[in-house]
Amino acid sequence: MGVFILRKLGAALIVVFLASVLVFGGVRAIPGDPALAYAAEDRDPEVLAAIRDKYGLDDPLPVQYVRWVGLAVQGDLGTDTRGLPVAETIVTRIPLTLELAGLAILIGTVLGIGAGVIAAVRRGKPSDYAATTVALLGLSVPHFWLGLLMILVFAVNLGWLPASGYVPFREDPVENLKHMLMPAIVLGAGLSAVLMRQMRSAMLESLGADYVRTARAKGLSEWTVVGKHALRNSLITVTTVIGLQLGALISGAVVTEQIFGIAGFGRLTVDSIAQRDYALLQGVVLVVAVGYVVVNLLVDVAYSLINPRIRVGGGST
Amino acid sequence: MNWIRTRRARSGFVALAVVAFGLLATGAGSSVAAESRTGGTLTIGLAEDPDALDPTLARTFVGRMVFLHMCEKLYDLNGRLQITPQLAAGMPTLSGDKRRMTIRIRRGVRFNDGTPLNARAVKVSLDRHRTLAGSARASEISPITSVDVVGNYTVRLNLNARFSPLTAQLADRAGMIMSPKQLDALGARFASNPVCVGPFKFTSRTAGDRIVLDKSQFYYARNKVKLNRIVFRIITDTSARAANLRAHDINVLDRIASTDLPAIQRDRSLRVLKATSIGYQGISINIGNKNGIGKPFVNVGTPLASRRALRQAFELSLDRRVINRVVFGGTVLPGCLPVPPASPYYDARIKCPGRNLSRARSLIRSTGMSTPVHVRLMIGTDQVAARLGQVIQSMARDAGFQVDLQPTEFVTALRRQDQGNYDAFAIGWSGRVDPDGNIYQFVHSKGSLNNLGWGSGRMDLLLDNARKAATLGARKTLYSAAFRVLRSELPLIYLYHPVNRHGVTANVKGVRLYGDGLIRAYFAEYK
Amino acid sequence: MSYVEATPLSARAHRRRILRRRFLRRPAAVASLVVVVGSILGAALAPSIAPYSPDATDFNALLAGPSREHLMGTDDLGRDTFSRVIWGARASIQAGFFATVLAMVIAVPIGLVAGYYRGWLDTVIARITDVLLAFPFLILAVGLAAIFGPSLLNATLALGIAAVPPLVRIARGEALALREEDYVRAAVANGANDAVIVGRHILPNMASTLLVQATLTIPAAIIGEAVLSFLGLGVQPPTPSWGVMLNAAQPYLNEAPSLAVYPGLAIVVVALAFNLLGDGLRDVFDPKTQR
Repeated sequence: MGVFILRKLGAALIVVFLASVLVFGGVRAIPGDPALAYAAEDRDPEVLAAIRDKYGLDDPLPVQYVRWVGLAVQGDLGTDTRGLPVAETIVTRIPLTLELAGLAILIGTVLGIGAGVIAAVRRGKPSDYAATTVALLGLSVPHFWLGLLMILVFAVNLGWLPASGYVPFREDPVENLKHMLMPAIVLGAGLSAVLMRQMRSAMLESLGADYVRTARAKGLSEWTVVGKHALRNSLITVTTVIGLQLGALISGAVVTEQIFGIAGFGRLTVDSIAQRDYALLQGVVLVVAVGYVVVNLLVDVAYSLINPRIRVGGGST
Repeated sequence: MNWIRTRRARSGFVALAVVAFGLLATGAGSSVAAESRTGGTLTIGLAEDPDALDPTLARTFVGRMVFLHMCEKLYDLNGRLQITPQLAAGMPTLSGDKRRMTIRIRRGVRFNDGTPLNARAVKVSLDRHRTLAGSARASEISPITSVDVVGNYTVRLNLNARFSPLTAQLADRAGMIMSPKQLDALGARFASNPVCVGPFKFTSRTAGDRIVLDKSQFYYARNKVKLNRIVFRIITDTSARAANLRAHDINVLDRIASTDLPAIQRDRSLRVLKATSIGYQGISINIGNKNGIGKPFVNVGTPLASRRALRQAFELSLDRRVINRVVFGGTVLPGCLPVPPASPYYDARIKCPGRNLSRARSLIRSTGMSTPVHVRLMIGTDQVAARLGQVIQSMARDAGFQVDLQPTEFVTALRRQDQGNYDAFAIGWSGRVDPDGNIYQFVHSKGSLNNLGWGSGRMDLLLDNARKAATLGARKTLYSAAFRVLRSELPLIYLYHPVNRHGVTANVKGVRLYGDGLIRAYFAEYK
Repeated sequence: MSYVEATPLSARAHRRRILRRRFLRRPAAVASLVVVVGSILGAALAPSIAPYSPDATDFNALLAGPSREHLMGTDDLGRDTFSRVIWGARASIQAGFFATVLAMVIAVPIGLVAGYYRGWLDTVIARITDVLLAFPFLILAVGLAAIFGPSLLNATLALGIAAVPPLVRIARGEALALREEDYVRAAVANGANDAVIVGRHILPNMASTLLVQATLTIPAAIIGEAVLSFLGLGVQPPTPSWGVMLNAAQPYLNEAPSLAVYPGLAIVVVALAFNLLGDGLRDVFDPKTQR
């Protein structure tokens, strides 16, 4: 186990290094001078030159890269165009981003697994068709659209939930959840649809498997059979799906944050591309890359915990 | 053992989910927090995230809105856009040769860190504005060669030329005075915790989310300040911003989109403040910007660049009133000059032409060009730009122009404009109080933002003289002549002046709006 | 034609007949096929079906309700919504279709090579796929739009690239399984070269899986196009696409909610049809999964 984790850690470090180079290069591949974005209406050659000089934009790229990485490993990600330290901005945004993603995964998982299990156990019955249809609909509805409709109904017309914004959990937990509910549902809807379908077929497969038949033959109650044996094995599928849906989740977060006016990582990224805010963009993407690597590590570990027999590696389908 | 762990985790999930759905079901009403009459928090929804909150470096329009509440200036504007003293004790006095400007400073004023405002502090700030690398103020006050401390409360600005717009500049960010103590402590990182003289002091800022200001205990007129806290929340999506106001989650809404206006006007619990912007929107035409900004002008050879008659025909194909009605729901002010009617420099004798398709067609015929005449029009990527572009396209088609729209992301568009890589660009200018700030940079042949690649000796002379002229009457005559040159040459087709409308919840009073379009809520209070 | 029935059916034709019969027994799948074909025809024949040009404005009839002249009313610039929905199908279905084709062209060879040859190449490809799977395609699209400008082509490219990793996985898995089949082993034993084996034995037998996958990728790409256009990164005005129409409708949600209803419904109906068709095809090709 220890060796396994160490090996994974080494690979993770390489991925993070490659990601940092990629981020650094990618950010600079976007045309448009950051000085221009920064100066906007006040641009004239002298001002532009001064800004380039201030941010060291005229230095050779390797020099800029080494300077950035050198500071980054000390926890200094530079200052953004607002004159605020990037590291601080990211640290204040992490709870928000994680909360949104966590709630979305929670909602998506609860709905997806629940509906998937019901559909599988009651296969062929109306509740199966209902769940399957709703899931298909969930795959076919653009989620930004769902978000817009929810704002119209729950915030503007009914006034039950705030239309947008974010209140830190520590300040007011109730307000925090009220602000997060709609975005989390919108973001979790897609996940739940994917999960439901995967869960249903995984459950059907498990329910037909020999060990489940054996359990049934032993006279165990249906609940025990479903809960203990079939569900447990299907959970592996779920873990995989969540891992695979991470990218979609981040993409979805960009749109969701846009609609609900939440300044999470998604919006920070898009805004900083528009502003050519190199420091902020690099910082955010780097942290996301590190986060992704860490999550992957955890998923791998979770795999081996849920079912130690499974050898982590190639991941055949 | 694994199973137990999973079950515990699952029951945790379920519990949280129950809480979440309980909230959804009950809805837990009260989105409008009850505020006490004195004190309270005012939340202002801003359309964009300001840049650095450092008066020397700041460049954005929304940033000025934040500064108004925490950084006072030597001079201020009143409701009629006249310049009045703020941190200065009176209007500046000029020496006989107009090369020295003396400003007396208000006494007994303290910065929000408790340190006193004096002549030395003013010199430190003005010198920083003039000389700091990357200063956005340096060009605004470039005629100042040095600042002398003449007494404890008097400074003298030494100028290298007469410069009429200087006082107006000192009524904006160039006139903001920063605490020398905080400048010593933070230097270039001043934006992370700015300290000035102001009714509110900076408390915290979360990038892309909010800026929090609290009532200052050092402000000289603190008895006028009723609110305890002002929160600027950044909500970039226009519909979301409007929804927030309608739900009373914010008290003040920065710039209502025309499409959201009807719903807000119908709502009895909301008020709308409006002020015509001092800027303009129009179509910049690339005439001689072939090799990039600052290079000698060489005609780019496109139809609109090579023939003045085609530019006139293009303008005549457009109906400014229809643009106003269709694109903006009738919420802007059509116009054809770089300054709005409210400006003292506006010339009402210059009439804007209406739509005249037959004249437009005959002008095109007179050039011998075969129709359709091709025009590539660069526009922004937002919905308003798309509507405007499509309406222009549709109207110009009737006269024989084929307009190809080029939606371009903002920074890329700026770059293309500066490189001269565009034919026409639908863009505007946020506007400056002095007309010089709306004209000189764009159409003077030495103008720093002359992306048009257009200039004329007559125009240069008029604008240079207007900078030196001392009286309003003399300047007005010069600008009128300049407007007429612009009208006949049409390097830039001015279309309209935005009218800024801001929404305010009816339970708040004292939020003011001047012609500069900035929200002033420092003396606001709850009814 | 009856004499055809009399001739002994080839194995392939026989299988085809069984599949067709299985397909026809599924009303949902048949209905969705009708919708899919209908929408493709509608998109292709837009110029002759649509009553108006999609960019014909009428500034005196803004946001009009449904009428005999305008079945679905008019939009914010007085254009006929019905015509724009029909024309919009072009961009949306084009994006969905070409993104899927692009993804297939890239993903299938890579997956085949990985699954067929295995070894270190397979490991490398699998790892890279894993990383790319987690990469948010929207960030890629935003970057592409910033670099090359927003357009249908760039949106399609971004969507196509985003669909590559999952398809690589599927192609690889299929290749991995098929190379163990007896007939492939037999071909190998007979000394057939790799190209022949892959081309004649493996690829044709993957076709059904790939077809199912394509019908599931297309609706995802159609929705993706809508998302990109909603963010201003996709099709550009005045060209209509359903995403562009939704984007333009957003500010009018209060005043004219119906502006957003029609393109939204169009997306849901077409995406649902493709998804149902994909599900149906999967059941047809692989009867084990349905019970």
